[in-house]
Amino acid sequence: MDGGLTLEVDDLVVGYGDRPALRGLSLRVEAGEVLALTGPNGSGKTTLLKSVLGLVTPERGTIRVGGTDVGGLARRERARRIAWVPQSEAPMDNVPLLEYVLYGRHPHIGGFERENAYDAVRVRDALAAVDLTDRADAGILELSGGERQRALLARALAQDTPILLLDEPTSSLDIGHQLDLLDRIRALSRGEGRTVVTAMHDLNLAARYADRIAVLDHGRLVALGPPSAVLSPTLLRDVWGVTADLRHDARTGLPFLVPRLPPAIPPEAGSATARPGPIHVLGGGGAAVSTLQRLVDEGFRVTAGALNLLDSDSEAAQSLGVPFAAEMPFAPLSDEVRAENRRFMLAATAIVITPFAVGPSNLGNLEDVAGLGPGSPPVILFVQPPWTLRDFAAGRVTPIINDLLARGASPVQGVDELLALLRARTLRARDPPVADAIRSVG
Amino acid sequence: MPAAGAPGVGDRLGRRRFGGWLLASTVATMAFLTLASFFVGTVPIPFRVVAAILLHQASNGAVFSSPCAGTVPAFRCAAFTAIVWDLRVPAVLLALIAGAALGLAGGTLQGVFRNPLADPYLFGLSAGAAVGAAGLYVFNIGLRESNITLPLFAFLGAVVTGAAILAIAGGRLGSVETLLLSGVALSYLLSGVLSLMLLYNPFGSLQVSFWLLGGLTGATWDRVGVAFGGLLVAGSLLVVASREVNVLQLGDEVALSLGVEVARVRTRLILLASLATGFAVAFTGVIGFVGLISPHIVRRIFGPDYRVVLPGSALVGGIFLLGASDLAQTILPQTVLPVGVLTAFAGAPFFLYLLQRKRRQGTGGR
Amino acid sequence: MSLNGAVPGASRQVSLALVAVISLVVAGGAIGATAAYFELRPSATHPGASAVTVTDDLGRTVTAPSNPSRVVALSPSIVDSLVRLGLRDRLVGVDCSSPAFGGLSADYDASQTAAWHLTSAMCVQVSPLNSEALVNLSPTLVLSSTIVSVSAVQEIANTLHIPVIMLQPVSVSGIVTDVQLLMSLFPTGSLGPTLVASMQRELGNVSVLDANLSYNDAQLPSLLLTYAVNPVGSTAPGYWTFGPGTFGQSLAELAGGSSISANVTIPWPELSGSQVLLAAPSLIVYGTGFGIDLTLYAQGPDWSSFTAVQSGHAYAIDSTLITEPGPTTVLVGLPDLIGLLHPSAHS
Repeated sequence: MDGGLTLEVDDLVVGYGDRPALRGLSLRVEAGEVLALTGPNGSGKTTLLKSVLGLVTPERGTIRVGGTDVGGLARRERARRIAWVPQSEAPMDNVPLLEYVLYGRHPHIGGFERENAYDAVRVRDALAAVDLTDRADAGILELSGGERQRALLARALAQDTPILLLDEPTSSLDIGHQLDLLDRIRALSRGEGRTVVTAMHDLNLAARYADRIAVLDHGRLVALGPPSAVLSPTLLRDVWGVTADLRHDARTGLPFLVPRLPPAIPPEAGSATARPGPIHVLGGGGAAVSTLQRLVDEGFRVTAGALNLLDSDSEAAQSLGVPFAAEMPFAPLSDEVRAENRRFMLAATAIVITPFAVGPSNLGNLEDVAGLGPGSPPVILFVQPPWTLRDFAAGRVTPIINDLLARGASPVQGVDELLALLRARTLRARDPPVADAIRSVG
Repeated sequence: MPAAGAPGVGDRLGRRRFGGWLLASTVATMAFLTLASFFVGTVPIPFRVVAAILLHQASNGAVFSSPCAGTVPAFRCAAFTAIVWDLRVPAVLLALIAGAALGLAGGTLQGVFRNPLADPYLFGLSAGAAVGAAGLYVFNIGLRESNITLPLFAFLGAVVTGAAILAIAGGRLGSVETLLLSGVALSYLLSGVLSLMLLYNPFGSLQVSFWLLGGLTGATWDRVGVAFGGLLVAGSLLVVASREVNVLQLGDEVALSLGVEVARVRTRLILLASLATGFAVAFTGVIGFVGLISPHIVRRIFGPDYRVVLPGSALVGGIFLLGASDLAQTILPQTVLPVGVLTAFAGAPFFLYLLQRKRRQGTGGR
Repeated sequence: MSLNGAVPGASRQVSLALVAVISLVVAGGAIGATAAYFELRPSATHPGASAVTVTDDLGRTVTAPSNPSRVVALSPSIVDSLVRLGLRDRLVGVDCSSPAFGGLSADYDASQTAAWHLTSAMCVQVSPLNSEALVNLSPTLVLSSTIVSVSAVQEIANTLHIPVIMLQPVSVSGIVTDVQLLMSLFPTGSLGPTLVASMQRELGNVSVLDANLSYNDAQLPSLLLTYAVNPVGSTAPGYWTFGPGTFGQSLAELAGGSSISANVTIPWPELSGSQVLLAAPSLIVYGTGFGIDLTLYAQGPDWSSFTAVQSGHAYAIDSTLITEPGPTTVLVGLPDLIGLLHPSAHS
């Protein structure tokens, strides 16, 4: 193989009935680059790959490899230029891996010829490249899932083509094998200069391994460029309809997207009275993130307090749309904020104290709970990890906790127990006879 | 030779793990069975006489100038000579050739349809061939039946059936069960057509048991030659195409991406399977299950590589049919059973076993 | 091709496959040539025997040795003819369905078949044809009916150089012709002419019957002449009878009957109960023997609803007298049938 060649797709139209899968798509993949092809299901990724392979016949448009129009080439010639790693392959005979990879040499071997030493070299190299040399004699059906996927790659490598197409090569692998396979593909591109086009669902993996990302939507190219230029919350919202936050890997500077989980019950789905709560959550320093998320997911109305801005818990509260008593960053709780926090407490049906680290600056949170009079909402208290470990206020925390427990606060071990408790209370509050009936049966 | 960096690996690729001795013992089995079969028949002939006649005839009279001297009277010797040289030897060779052709056709069909239950008999290819050949007798179409027109018309009948199977299977090969049921339905339809022909059969020119159950009694040297020619053409082209059959096992799309013109190759393979089937059925009638069993035995022994499975199926098919033919002549005294009855006795339970195993395994394995 | 030309392995070895193909072709050619060589060797002829050329019932021209000494007759009716012509001593083989072996025609008159003196060593299986057994009898002539397929017969004639004459008369007069054909092959003394004369006498009686019937302007009785039945409950219940182009059909006509199966398309049709009901034959003649009797016919479809059965015009006849196209059918079967159809004329 003489290194990679460019792959040019020009004005490609592929039709399935009146809903064309590709609508005039043009794309140029540079020699030796790794291009990740992304887009929602049905956006045309696979159709594009299959068009390049000649598995579907385009209505219009040309596909050129290194300047040669492959549409006019015989299958064999095409197969010497373009190799394919399918997503998965139907089970077949238990062929030894060596023979299986040798199938990749098929386009190079004439009808009356047989494999020669050069084919053997290519097969050996391909096996070595995917680290399967030791398994050469194993039957293909005896390989593990990760090995099977690497065997597919090895076969395509043995095909010895300037262009390598992959259709979601990692979709059936665990995260370890995903990274391993993509590392190998990336190395192949770097080492041998092969042009790689891979369809991928995972944008973060795409950003990590691809030189450029092409985003397809409804058969059109909607974005093309380096990951940092392409990935954006706007793109995710417009193409996938997903709300996500953009972050950057501190070590590599590569962008990655963190999708937000949608609330289980959309806010507009019911009136305030239909949703249980509010539940008031005390936290700080990230201790309340999962609790807030879960409560919102479960459909509770939630308030929080008192939190310092820029703190993880306050960011979580903000992104979840949870109202909270907010103090300036890194500042001790002011009287105004504590007053607001108390109003939230009194309006709540329950107060949840997450295991946040308590120091002098935020001790007020706990003091205000302890200071509530009779008739105030019930208190639920995380007891794991132990509060002794969270006490950074010179031993003043533990007495307050013990006092709360003595006055009837419910201890819980974690979020699941908290939710179970809250669901039971909500049920009882809403419909006492049913709750009693359940209790008597239980 | 090139590739300095490849010693060792080249050797490993060059040889396939055939198990050379397995191949040798299979060939030896065939050779022994062939020789032994010359001594099997409904008419008991002394061992010594058969051997002498064989050597006498094969050497064109150079050895054993009077093969029966001292054992049987001259007029008996003439009858024995005719029986051995003009009946048994052609029948044995035809059994080998027809078995090989059917095994080859079965292996090919199993490869083309990626279906371990494919078989020229179950898919109606054999019945189609029989209809083609029998049609030559029944409908006076201006062509006299001869050792050339018969196999050609059988070939034609098989090709039409093969095209119908392809059409039923459609572009996608569908599920194994659909294909199998379609094939069996087609096979029934054609058997019906054949039965109708036999019913209208104007002067008893067709032998019902021969066409429906198969027989090797019609073997002649001419027919052996013609059938061998058909087997040779189909067999050599199939052996050449066998690597493509291997690649076909990866699925249509992968095969296309590896440079195989799938549709063209599939058509060509079915054409060749029809050729092999036609040239066998024209002279032996419809014999079932040889094409089903042989490739399975080969796969079990030699592995799934079609470069071995196809020639191997021919070998095993020949052994199987010859063995069945020998049994057909020896089970009942003085009686020749239609050989298709014997192959069915072996094949039908085997078919059920495969079906069972397949159901247990799901649609994947062989 | 730059993609391939650059690689070190471009010069490829010729594959094993090609070598295999070439060697197979060479081997095949050699085998074919050998086969042809043996095939072309002059075959042993029958030295000193003069030959007779005849045209058989299928229109085949056959050259047979004159007065052949070893004859295989693959049909009971041919055995019947040969025995009546005094040629039993020529007979070395018969088909296994012949009476002596409890076959299909086991019901041939015992006194008659006893005279045939058949032994099991003479038995040749005909379906499928056991060629080995046939050849083992060293016949110089094979007389066969179409119980053996024409293609199988042709094989015997072509490859083993044994003449085969097919005797399959399609009418009652054809039976007489076949006897005359045999007389051209064998010296029969006075037996041949006598047999022919007696058969022609029976046919002459038929002419008298015809004349009488037309003189009286009598309506020919409609007739179902059946020789076997599939009872209700079997796969295809019905009554087997003769179609056009069979001697059985001609037998029914000669006996002065109007066969209800005269217009079917199949030579050997099976009529369903409703077909018979629709045709409403005024007479039914049913063949018995081979284990078939009235009890079985009574289990046939709609049997008791047939007019002929209800009016008592269903008569039994020995099957061998109507199903075997031999002299016995002409000499015994035909007069018996006339007796059933036209009792007055017969007397």
